[in-house]
Amino acid sequence: MCGIIGCTGRETETLDVLLHGLDTLEYRGYDSAGVALANGTVEVCKREGEIDRLRAAVDPAMDGPVGIGHTRWSTHGPPTDENAHPHTDCTGDVAVVHNGIIENYDELKAELTAAGHELESDTDTEVVPHFIEDALADGMSRDEAFRSAVARIEGSYALAAVFAGSEAILATREGSPLVVGVGDDAAYLASDVPAFLEYTDRVVYLDDGEFARLESGSWTVTDAEGRLLEKSISQVEWDAEETAKSGYDHYMLKEIHEQPRALRKCLRGRVDELTGTVDVEALEGLTAESVQFVACGTSYHAALYGAQRLQAAGVPAQAFLASEYATAPAPVTEGTLVVGVTQSGETADTLAALRRAQARGVETLAMTNVVGSTAARDCDRTLLIRAGPEIGVAATKTFSSQVVACNLLSATLADRGDSREIVQALRDLPGQIQEVLDASRAEAVAERFVDSDGYFFIGRGHQHPVALEGALKMKEITYKHAEGFPAGELKHGPLALVTGRTPVFAIVTGTDEEATKTVGNVKEVEARDAPVVAVTDGASTVDRYADAVLELPETEPCVAPVLANVQLQLVAYHVANKLGRSIDKPRNLAKSVTVE
Amino acid sequence: MTVRAAVVLAAGEGTRLRPLTRNRPKPMLPAADRPILEHVFDALIGAGIERLHVVVGYKRDRVQDYFGPTYRNVPVNYVAQNKQLGSGHALLEAREAVASEDGFLVVNGDQVIEQRMVEDVLDAFEDDDGGAMLAVTEQSDVSHYGAVRTEGDRVIELVEKPETDEYRLLNAGVYAFDASIFDAVDETPRVRGELALTDTLSRLIDEDVAVGGVTTEGLWVDATYPWDLLDVSRELLLGGRVTEPERGEAVWVADTANVHEDATLQGPVVVGPDSEVRPGAVVGPFAAVGRNATVGANAVVSRSVLDTDTRVGPNATLLDCVTGQAVSLGAGTTVPGGPGDVRVEDSVYEGQRLGTLVADRVRAAGDVSFAPGTLVGPNATLHTGVSISENVTEGAEVFR
Repeated sequence: MCGIIGCTGRETETLDVLLHGLDTLEYRGYDSAGVALANGTVEVCKREGEIDRLRAAVDPAMDGPVGIGHTRWSTHGPPTDENAHPHTDCTGDVAVVHNGIIENYDELKAELTAAGHELESDTDTEVVPHFIEDALADGMSRDEAFRSAVARIEGSYALAAVFAGSEAILATREGSPLVVGVGDDAAYLASDVPAFLEYTDRVVYLDDGEFARLESGSWTVTDAEGRLLEKSISQVEWDAEETAKSGYDHYMLKEIHEQPRALRKCLRGRVDELTGTVDVEALEGLTAESVQFVACGTSYHAALYGAQRLQAAGVPAQAFLASEYATAPAPVTEGTLVVGVTQSGETADTLAALRRAQARGVETLAMTNVVGSTAARDCDRTLLIRAGPEIGVAATKTFSSQVVACNLLSATLADRGDSREIVQALRDLPGQIQEVLDASRAEAVAERFVDSDGYFFIGRGHQHPVALEGALKMKEITYKHAEGFPAGELKHGPLALVTGRTPVFAIVTGTDEEATKTVGNVKEVEARDAPVVAVTDGASTVDRYADAVLELPETEPCVAPVLANVQLQLVAYHVANKLGRSIDKPRNLAKSVTVE
Repeated sequence: MTVRAAVVLAAGEGTRLRPLTRNRPKPMLPAADRPILEHVFDALIGAGIERLHVVVGYKRDRVQDYFGPTYRNVPVNYVAQNKQLGSGHALLEAREAVASEDGFLVVNGDQVIEQRMVEDVLDAFEDDDGGAMLAVTEQSDVSHYGAVRTEGDRVIELVEKPETDEYRLLNAGVYAFDASIFDAVDETPRVRGELALTDTLSRLIDEDVAVGGVTTEGLWVDATYPWDLLDVSRELLLGGRVTEPERGEAVWVADTANVHEDATLQGPVVVGPDSEVRPGAVVGPFAAVGRNATVGANAVVSRSVLDTDTRVGPNATLLDCVTGQAVSLGAGTTVPGGPGDVRVEDSVYEGQRLGTLVADRVRAAGDVSFAPGTLVGPNATLHTGVSISENVTEGAEVFR
């Protein structure tokens, strides 16, 4: 949640740089936004709503050599102008933006109010500028004052502050992402690299507990005690423009269409079909007696799939919701590998679960899309899924890439002698996704069922995670009620919800026992007059009981979920589009959730 | 005037190349190791173009997915032409996109051109300081194209598909214009609802408005019919117009390709990224193996273009063969090669050098043989041992 941007050294362009940065950070939150520019004084402009409202409200003459900006996803207090960041102190000479949660803010707020400070918002953030104000009044330097305020707070945060009469930005992080961009005569600060990628591709990744000071073209990083740290500059390979929509109306549709390319990249140089070998550098020498996946949302569904793959290969494996695991972890042994699946590598719940695992001394692996992300840096190993930047809040291509990466992991940990068939199926997958994209009738299905009361998704075995994912996609972007179930569970309760106005999407591939039993469950649904949409490769008899069919190419059972999921992504997209929803920025959601 | 923007026309299907265009427009068909349109983009960017505006229409997602928002760090802007009503109409769709440009290029996206042609047009246009300029190139046979007559550096006549053989120059489909072209196109009467850019140019010539013609040399190849795709790739391979690293004399192999040490590559040949060439296979000369394709053990592939994700089984023999995407040809497939008689729509073209054309996602089991000149429609299933002696329609299942 929440995105931070800052820049210094851009003279009169400060405001433009901040607003542009906020545009690219909008995926992190978009219920309010604001900027603060400092020269002799600090000027603040902030608005409830999307960034366009801020853009309309801001005085283009707002000027200053240094500034910070923020786009918010509310945790403390509703989205209002007052609760938008930046927040200032009583004098208006200090402005602060914050991403994260200050856990002890209640007591801090009480202390400040008792001391006569006037706090205007409901946010946890506002305590910070007031503590800085007090410290400055006590005669501390700006750097000392910033540190002393940070020392008072507990929780997770990325913080940045500007001051009247100073061209510097002071910043720090603890549990929330923050990167420094190094320009020729300017320096930048952001929650995520794309925010300043147009100006520089040289970045310094801050670690927890580090403080950064940016002033014009110079930057320094110090530790909590103020000792200077030597930080290396990394060159990022992403292309600034890769974050445009390439002719599509929505990022989500663009990213659905990018799946063949994403999977080609995920597999590149990692598989050899002739010998049936999987060779991933990051996994070299990796062994595990058992595997625990921790993840949230869509990544959790990929993790469920990954656990199934490993189980099938004879490696005990389980998938856990990271938010649960963080407080109630499962028992581990010395040979346990804990795999955190997180697109951004910044998901706070997943990071907390990984830290919990690390504290218990087991090996950790980050399965992520973002080089240099917190998860990638904190874990012992990193398996990059190489999906390329994903901007749409609803995860699409990263799910497919995660599923492929799970196969790479399971083939590495356990060779069951079928790896040649698996590699062959993986190599065929990009072309088969293209086939689904070329021929999908998802839009017609969406048109037919757009007015339904709710949607149910059933699948068994490998298709169970896809049933869950199909439902999640549907609810995220259409705001309609949708639930996914293991096909056999439907009759143990949820069937009571099924009516003639609740289509059931049944994912059935192959002709094995799982397929046969699922067809039986489909008949139960049909007998209750619910419309059935079969997502199938045509191998079973499910289409006989279906009102509509979404076709899949035939493939190995283990990769069929990826193909089924593409159809369900398209259905959700088209239903949301027909309902006029804000597809790339659904209400109440944010792309990477960096609070627990 | 400095020109830094180009409008690329890539909206048309290319119906004479069916069934290969079932899922994508002609600009996305393979030309050696990459789509035709990529050669066009390379020529433009090489000549200094910094803004690409691509008019897309038929199966536009294929263009957008392939190139994305940037190509070689040049931003690509997509302009939709929802109905394909001719090149002039396509250009009008881009009017807003180039509103801030003093001058801009307009280029056909479905013909391979060379950077020099673009540079020659740019130089001439910038010297002239505006107006209309087109590239003219000499070809032995211009009967399928727009023929041109020039006088000095002016074009004095444009004839589409001339019936006499007195013409030697053709319109290479590389133009430079200023914004006045939009009104000129707008004022051109439509012919059967369509608006061709060349009609506008002919009108300008008739009205004595100067249309410059710059004669230029360089590789210019076009595929009108399916068998032309083999010639296009041949020309590109001969000219070394391949982007993969050169491993030996006229042998280009992508870094991520996996060519077994017991396979033989005979140049000129190109093997694309992520592909596999298995032991005993002989690939080339004049073969292009696309991205993520597989050539099975002991297979022979010569004078052929295998597109993305194609699988060729062991012991197959493919000569003069064009495959679409994700085609699967089983063990022992035999394509003995051209020449053959090719039926395209209602016409028969005799003696064309085409072994067979197999469209997207055709699945041929083992031991299928193809008579010269046959076209197999997308998603057809050919069972074991069948002999294909005539065209096969989309989705058909052939048992015997």
